[in-house]
Amino acid sequence: MSFLDNYIYYIGAFGLILIGLYIILVKHNLIKVIVGLGILDTGVNLFLISVGYITKGTAPIFSRPGIDSEHMVDPVPQALVLTAIVIGVAVLALALSLAIRLYQHYGTLNLRKIREQRW
Amino acid sequence: MVNPVLLIAVPLGLAFAIPLFALFWKGAAKYIPPVALGFNLVVSLLLLGKVFENPVIVSIGGWQPPFCINLVAGPVGVLFSAIIALVGLLVSIYALDYIKEGATEKYHMLYLLLLTGATGVVLTGDIFNLFVFFEILCISSYALVAYLRDKAGIESAVKYLIQGAVGSSLLLIGIGLLYGQFGTLNMADIAGKIASASPISLFVPMVLLITGLGVEAAIFPLNAWLPDAHSSAPSSISAILSGIAIEVGLYAVARVIFTIFGASGILPFLALLGILTLLVGEMCAFSQNNIKRMLAYSSIGQIGLILFALAIATSYGVTGGLFQLLSHSLSKALLFLAAGYMIYRAGSMEISALEGMGRKMPLTCLAFTIGAFSLVGLPPFIGFPSKFLIVRAALATEETIFIVLIGLALLGTVIEGAYFFRVVQVLYFKGVKGNPEVNPERREAPAAALIPMFIFVVLIVVVGIYPKLVTDVLNSAATEFLNRLDYIRSVLG
Repeated sequence: MSFLDNYIYYIGAFGLILIGLYIILVKHNLIKVIVGLGILDTGVNLFLISVGYITKGTAPIFSRPGIDSEHMVDPVPQALVLTAIVIGVAVLALALSLAIRLYQHYGTLNLRKIREQRW
Repeated sequence: MVNPVLLIAVPLGLAFAIPLFALFWKGAAKYIPPVALGFNLVVSLLLLGKVFENPVIVSIGGWQPPFCINLVAGPVGVLFSAIIALVGLLVSIYALDYIKEGATEKYHMLYLLLLTGATGVVLTGDIFNLFVFFEILCISSYALVAYLRDKAGIESAVKYLIQGAVGSSLLLIGIGLLYGQFGTLNMADIAGKIASASPISLFVPMVLLITGLGVEAAIFPLNAWLPDAHSSAPSSISAILSGIAIEVGLYAVARVIFTIFGASGILPFLALLGILTLLVGEMCAFSQNNIKRMLAYSSIGQIGLILFALAIATSYGVTGGLFQLLSHSLSKALLFLAAGYMIYRAGSMEISALEGMGRKMPLTCLAFTIGAFSLVGLPPFIGFPSKFLIVRAALATEETIFIVLIGLALLGTVIEGAYFFRVVQVLYFKGVKGNPEVNPERREAPAAALIPMFIFVVLIVVVGIYPKLVTDVLNSAATEFLNRLDYIRSVLG
């Protein structure tokens, strides 16, 4: 069980990443694909957080008394994730607004039916 | 001493100031990008003379590398930022008159953001910062592809966005894996520690980084979005996407391979991938009837050739690759700009609709022809010395694989010549015989479009005749790529 204890966050993160990729590759509906992108983003963010996490860690605030620095988690990945979340939100918002436009043009969100551009 | 931070800060600030200016005077929006990019061009050229000896390292926030986000303005970074500013400036002058419909202030803001992102990617020395700038570039280009809000543009933007977003997620996973192993995000610091890691644990992050960046660089199996996006965007945006965005993607791939990983084992594979990209692109371009799609596929082909040249990884090879990158930037931007007004006057993107354009718009067609000849690699133009250098570099390796591959690359060039000459023939010689006495009315592109095209033509011819103007810079840039120990030492001190 110690394997699970040590690696549960990584397993969860890569599980989410794979679920997201699966949805993007397989689903026909653009909204579902965008949901897949969201899940993929979440998986990546969880992965970044777990890179810097230590079991029973605390926030790295040095000004608070009575906290030893050994149990502090690495703050850098959290800063990265904050940025990555913002970027992810921007991409999702743009994708949804494009989905609205696409529906206005084609009357459908089924990506298999929208194929005017081809090689 | 000018600070390289200005190259990013000034356009970024002005980009977000555009909506404010537009509140007071709507016409002001379109004059801001030329001002910002002109400033960038001047600063880049000022820096270009100084960074030869040792690169300028800027540490942001007062910390020392590797603890801060730093900018590395070495020969490569400054060379790229100069190319970005030059092409961006000329295209933004072209857009003064070309972009009339829609929310123009949004166009100009996104345009400036795109180029800020590109400049940031080439200057930064921090791998997560590279990801952030890369996303600025990508998100603004998704939005710009959909700028016209027509069917084709929206569909292409959706495709581009989905593929681009998956690519950036892979890139971020790669960055996370590297951080997990080395505990640092500074590229020089990672590069210095990479020798201590086991090769197998480096393989996964490297593949993820190359795949993630390869989507934007349009390396062969990852380039399905490119022909749609480049052909559906407004022509000025197509010029920037083809002339800047994919080159920046390639820069990032080269930086990851050469500087961070120093991976020589993967180079023959990349050379093969480059030639595959080249052949696929040229063959698809040959069968197109739509002129913008043809140019877009031709960009794929050129990217393949540049990737091949970089993968030779000798001093000549990388110099040739960077030279080809410069020549592709100038020529392809010129081609898209000229094609933009030809399409506008003809009312159609079909090549057959352009019959007899050579007499209706002689100057624009001349510019198109020069761009086409330069891409094919005919002598007085810039494409000749760059392709010549690549062939020479490939032959100088005396390795069978590179010699066979350069043979295939020359085959690709022949195909390229065939389809470009076909367009030139349509422009000048088709539809003339039937009515020789009819003198069609001449309607040239407006001056705001002709001036940038003229400057591109001058640059293409001058550098083509006298390549020594740029080879020194390209040489020192190639040295920076190949000599990773110097890079590490100059950043970490």
